[in-house]
Amino acid sequence: MNLLESVRVALEGIMTSKLRSFLTTLGIVIGIAAVIAVVAIGQGGRAVLMAEMEKIGTNIFAIYVDWRSDKKVTGREFNLSDVAVIKDKVPDITHLSPVNNSLCDVRGPKDQKTGRVIGVSSDYFYIRKFNMKEGHFFTEEDDAGKRRVAVLDEELAGQVFGRAEALGSIITLNSTPFLVVGILAKSESALGFSENPGVYVPIQAWQVMFNSQVQELEGSAASKEKVDEAMGQAVKVLERRHQTPGKYAGMSMEQEMQAANKITGIMTLIIGAIAGISLFVGGIGVMNIMLVSVTERTREIGIRMALGARRRDILVQFLIESIMLCLLGGIIGMALGAGGAYLIAKLAKWPPLVSWWTALLAFAFSAAIGVVFGLLPANKAARLNPIEALRRE
Amino acid sequence: MIKVKNLGKIYKAGAHPVVALADVDLTVKPGEFVSVMGPSGSGKSTLMNLLGCLDILTSGSYLLDGMEVSGMSETELAQVRKLKIGFVFQAFNLLPRMSAIRNVELPMIYAGVAPRERARRAAEALEKVGLAQRMSHRPGELSGGQIQRVSIARALVNNPAVILADEPTGNLDTRSGEEIMAIFQELNRGGATIVLVTHEREIALHTSRIVHFRDGRLVEDEPVAAPLDAREHISAAVPVGQAGSNIESGGEFGR
Repeated sequence: MNLLESVRVALEGIMTSKLRSFLTTLGIVIGIAAVIAVVAIGQGGRAVLMAEMEKIGTNIFAIYVDWRSDKKVTGREFNLSDVAVIKDKVPDITHLSPVNNSLCDVRGPKDQKTGRVIGVSSDYFYIRKFNMKEGHFFTEEDDAGKRRVAVLDEELAGQVFGRAEALGSIITLNSTPFLVVGILAKSESALGFSENPGVYVPIQAWQVMFNSQVQELEGSAASKEKVDEAMGQAVKVLERRHQTPGKYAGMSMEQEMQAANKITGIMTLIIGAIAGISLFVGGIGVMNIMLVSVTERTREIGIRMALGARRRDILVQFLIESIMLCLLGGIIGMALGAGGAYLIAKLAKWPPLVSWWTALLAFAFSAAIGVVFGLLPANKAARLNPIEALRRE
Repeated sequence: MIKVKNLGKIYKAGAHPVVALADVDLTVKPGEFVSVMGPSGSGKSTLMNLLGCLDILTSGSYLLDGMEVSGMSETELAQVRKLKIGFVFQAFNLLPRMSAIRNVELPMIYAGVAPRERARRAAEALEKVGLAQRMSHRPGELSGGQIQRVSIARALVNNPAVILADEPTGNLDTRSGEEIMAIFQELNRGGATIVLVTHEREIALHTSRIVHFRDGRLVEDEPVAAPLDAREHISAAVPVGQAGSNIESGGEFGR
């Protein structure tokens, strides 16, 4: 008997008891669906995260005091002249800005909010590739003159000004008045969160207000490929200038993306493995019902043997039946899993990602389950004695 | 066709081995129609299992169609079953979820006959037993007599050297039994070699020779001078043009 014929015989066996076949393979359906959905959602989420980070910029980096180092933090790790020196010594750094952060009361004509006040230089506009809704970002001269000018993001502007015109008006930050010179356009985030509402002011004005040294630096390199090296050079310049080796650390968007990639990958793997356990349980279900089925069909096996089936033919028949059942479950599960992933992706506004390799893997995996868990029942069937099998009711 | 010498079969059941058959010498010539009779426990079924290559003989030799069967492996025995032997069982043993024609195709699947050829030969065999109109029916939709005719079609479809029928009329009423015997006789006239087990003398008298078994031994070999013709019984019992008609229209059987 050739393989095609065996497949046909096995299909006949499956089709003659459709309900039982379906129930047999239900565990595989659920297992494969779970694995496909989890992996697809994981990959979709990762893709969104990566796209978000890429949108912010793949060539940017931050330098901060290494919190892992045992060196005492003095508050004088960075100063404004560092920025100019680094830009001078590391030509691959196109823009570099100090970044200082603090919370304060932001008061407008309509309302008062607690917001983030971020002190940066005019370079920051180019590092973050901001889009202006109205007005302009503050200039180098604004900074040098310690002018009290502010750039609000759209959300905060709406909150504290309401419908009133924000541009050209005055807001107070911790009771210090600032002139609003620009409004940042809201950036659409597929992840559904945006940064805290904030207001950007020139770093020197910020220092006057909060009386603090520079907290950290942010910059952009000429290209994504040069960012890590440029960042390293900048750290070296800082260490030389402050004679504190090992105190500074840098993190580029590239590194951050790799880390995020790794984390989402591990999470997908863990949840996928849990889903994989359900697949294993499904395989045991197939084996159990196949064992019952062999007992139930003892007489059929006897008849087939009397008609000339070899033990091998019987073994192959039941093995193929088990494989086909599992493949059938795999295909249904794949459809369900892809459908579920698509639905969730649609709700979360993620791209649905069912990659060909997950589908292929699921397919191969369900076939393998069919083989592994079909062996025992098939072997039991093939070892029956034809005379006794024929006598069985 | 069948040449059995010193055939013996011992079952090892627990501490005491049971002798099921001993010293059986039996020759069945090509084209013969032999019946095997005996009370239960006489070794009839064991003989059929051995002749049908379902069981392995303990001693003696068994030549089937010129081939020595004793000493064959299980795989070789399966090969012999599929090419040389056609079974007809008392309990019919059709696969209940398959149509008549698929049931008849089954032995050819294992013999490696191509699908188209298979369907053609199965249809031909079913026509021979008068079931041309019932090919796609399942066993559950057929009467006992019709089911047994399907299994006869299944037995002869691979053109076996010998047809082994184990109480083929045991589960049938008298008239259906006569119909089945009529088919066997027709096959035999066409040249088929048939060995039939029965415990009804009435049935055995349709064959040309009766071998009697008792306690695992062949005790009497009785030739039947004038075998009964099942066709006469049917035409006597049934109005003209009914049960017998499909058999007569069947034409020549066998090889």
